[in-house]
Amino acid sequence: MTATHQGTAGGGATESSNALRDSFILGGRAIREALRTPDSLFPTMFIPLFFLVVNVGQAAKIFPSEGTPFLFGQSYGAFQLPASLLLSASFGGAGLYLVEEIEGGYFDKLRATPISRMALVLGRLYAEFVKTAAVATVMVLLALAFGIRIKSGIPGFLVMVVMVSLWAMVFAGFMQLLALKTRSAAATQGGSMIFFPLLFLTPNFVPRDQLTRPMEIAATLNPVTYIMEGVRSLVLEGFNGAAIGKGFAVVGVTMVLMLALSIRMVNNYD
Amino acid sequence: MPTNQGDLNAPYALQTDRPSSMSAIKAVGLKKTYSTGGEEVEAVRGVDLDVQPGEIFGFLGPNGAGKSTTVRMLTTLMTLSAGTVHVGGVDVAADPHGARRKIGVALQEAGLDERQTSREILVLQARLFGMRPSEAGARAQELLELVDLTEAADRRVKGYSGGMKRRLDLASALVHEPEVLFLDEPTTGLDPGSRITVWDEVRRINSMGTTVFLTTQYLEEADQLCNRLAIIDSGLIIREGTPASLKAELRERTGLDTDPTLDDVFLDATGRTRDRVAGEVKEI
Ligand SMILES: Nc1ncnc2c1ncn2[C@@H]1O[C@H](COP(=O)(O)OP(=O)(O)OP(=O)(O)O)[C@@H](O)[C@H]1O
Ligand SMILES: [Mg+2]
Repeated sequence: MTATHQGTAGGGATESSNALRDSFILGGRAIREALRTPDSLFPTMFIPLFFLVVNVGQAAKIFPSEGTPFLFGQSYGAFQLPASLLLSASFGGAGLYLVEEIEGGYFDKLRATPISRMALVLGRLYAEFVKTAAVATVMVLLALAFGIRIKSGIPGFLVMVVMVSLWAMVFAGFMQLLALKTRSAAATQGGSMIFFPLLFLTPNFVPRDQLTRPMEIAATLNPVTYIMEGVRSLVLEGFNGAAIGKGFAVVGVTMVLMLALSIRMVNNYD
Repeated sequence: MPTNQGDLNAPYALQTDRPSSMSAIKAVGLKKTYSTGGEEVEAVRGVDLDVQPGEIFGFLGPNGAGKSTTVRMLTTLMTLSAGTVHVGGVDVAADPHGARRKIGVALQEAGLDERQTSREILVLQARLFGMRPSEAGARAQELLELVDLTEAADRRVKGYSGGMKRRLDLASALVHEPEVLFLDEPTTGLDPGSRITVWDEVRRINSMGTTVFLTTQYLEEADQLCNRLAIIDSGLIIREGTPASLKAELRERTGLDTDPTLDDVFLDATGRTRDRVAGEVKEI
C-alpha cells in the first residue's frame, strides 16, 4: 500500500516533486487554453502599451532627457516602461478562469484526483508566469524599437522579466483566492478593483522623492512601489543591488503569503 | 474465537471494524450541515451505508433529499460534519489521497473543460493519476473506445451533445481503474437511447469488477441496474433493500393484490401518494 501513503502529509521529497510535476501538467493545460483564446491576451498587451504611449505623449515635454536627472539620459518612455509592464502583469485571467471551472464543475473533478493541493493553486499561476514573460518580452522588444535601452543589458532584461512574471503570479494568485472565496465571476472581477489602485499609488510618473507628501507616504507603504523601482533601476541605472533586492523581497513575501492563504482555502473548500 | 463474554463492546467493535475493511463503501453516522448566511441546513442527518464489493448500489430520493451531498462526502470533495466514511477500506477523512486513488466520480453536473478535446481531458486526468505521457495516451485511447467517442476525440468538448459529455465524464472517472465508481444522476437529461447506452456501460464496468454507487431520480433505472438500493428523504435513509424485497414488503404491508412498482415503493416511502403528487401539481 505504498501508493496510499504517498498522499498523506509528510511525503517529503516525492510529495513536493509530484506537486511540481502536477503543477506543470495543469499549467500546460492553462497555456493551451490561453493559446485557444488569443483575444484574452489582447488587452494584456495593448492596454499597457496604450497607456505608455499616452503617458509619454502627455509628459515627455516636461521631462526632457537632458536636464531630468532621474531619466539617466534616457527618454521619458524608458521611465514609464516598468509601469506598463506591471500593468500588463495584472491582467491575468486566472481568477476568472477558475470561477468558470468551479461553476462548471471541472474544479471538483480536479479536486477528486490525488494531486497535491498546492498543484491545484500553482497550475494556473505557472501559466500566468509563462504568459507574462512572453508578453513582457514582446513589450520590451517594441520599446527597443522606439529607442528605449535596457541599461543592465540582456542579463538585466532577464532579471526584469522574471521579476515582473513572478509578480504576475502573485497578483493572479490573489485573484484566484477571491475566486475560491466568492465563487462568483462578478465578485472576482469586482474584487480585482480593490487591487488595481495599488498600481497607481506608486511613483509611476516621477520618482518617489518628487511626489507630494501624502502620495509619497502611500507609495512607500505600497509593496508594488518596490517592484516598480526594482524594474526601473534595471532599465535606467544598470544593476542596483538594493533596488533589485527590495523588488524580489516584496515578490517573495507576497508570494509566500498568497500561497499559504490559497492552500488553506483549498484545504477547507467544501 | 475467544471473545470476552463480559465485555459487550468487544464483539461490536470487531463487527464495525471488519466490514470497514471488507466493504467497498462503509459510512457510519454521516451528517452534513451547511451554514449559509447564518442559517443552518441539515442536508444529511445520520446516514449509514454498507455497500459490498461488486454491487451496483442505487441511491434514490426526491430533489433536495441529500443525494449529492452524500456523494460529495463519500468522494472526499466535502468535509464531514459528523460520522466516518471508508471507501475500499481507506478512511476518506484521514487519508483523502489514498481514497482518491480508489474512487472514480462523475458528479451531477458533468464537469468538463470545454476548451479542450476529450482526448486531452482524458490524458490530463491520467497524468494526474501518475501515469507517464505514453501510458496516459494509451489509456485515453482505450477509454475513448469504451465510451464510443473515438470519432469526436480530437474535437473540443464545447460542441458535444449532452450524451457525449456524459460519456466523456464517465470515461474520465475511469482512467485509474477505480475500485468504486460514484455516479450522481448519470442519466438525467439524456434521451432514452443515450440512457440505455449509459446503462450498458455501467453494467460493463461493473462486470469488470468495479463497485458502482449511483444516484438517480429514475426508479426504472434503479430497478434495471441495481442489486440493492436505499431511499433517502430529508437527509435520512427511509428504505433499504433489493428492488424485489422492497416491493414485496410494500405488497405485504398494504395487502395489495397486484405487484407494486418501485414507483409505488418510492411514493410510499417518501409519503407522497399519487393523489398528493397530482394535487401539488394542480396547485402550481
Ligand atoms: N452548498 C450548499 N449550501 C447550502 N445548502 C445546500 C448546499 N448544497 C445543497 N444544499 C441543500 O442541502 C439539501 C440537499 O441537497 P442535495 O444537493 O444533496 O440534494 P439532492 O438529493 O442531490 O437533490 P437533487 O435531486 O435536486 O440533485 C437541499 O436542501 C439543498 O438546498
Ligand atoms: Mg443532486
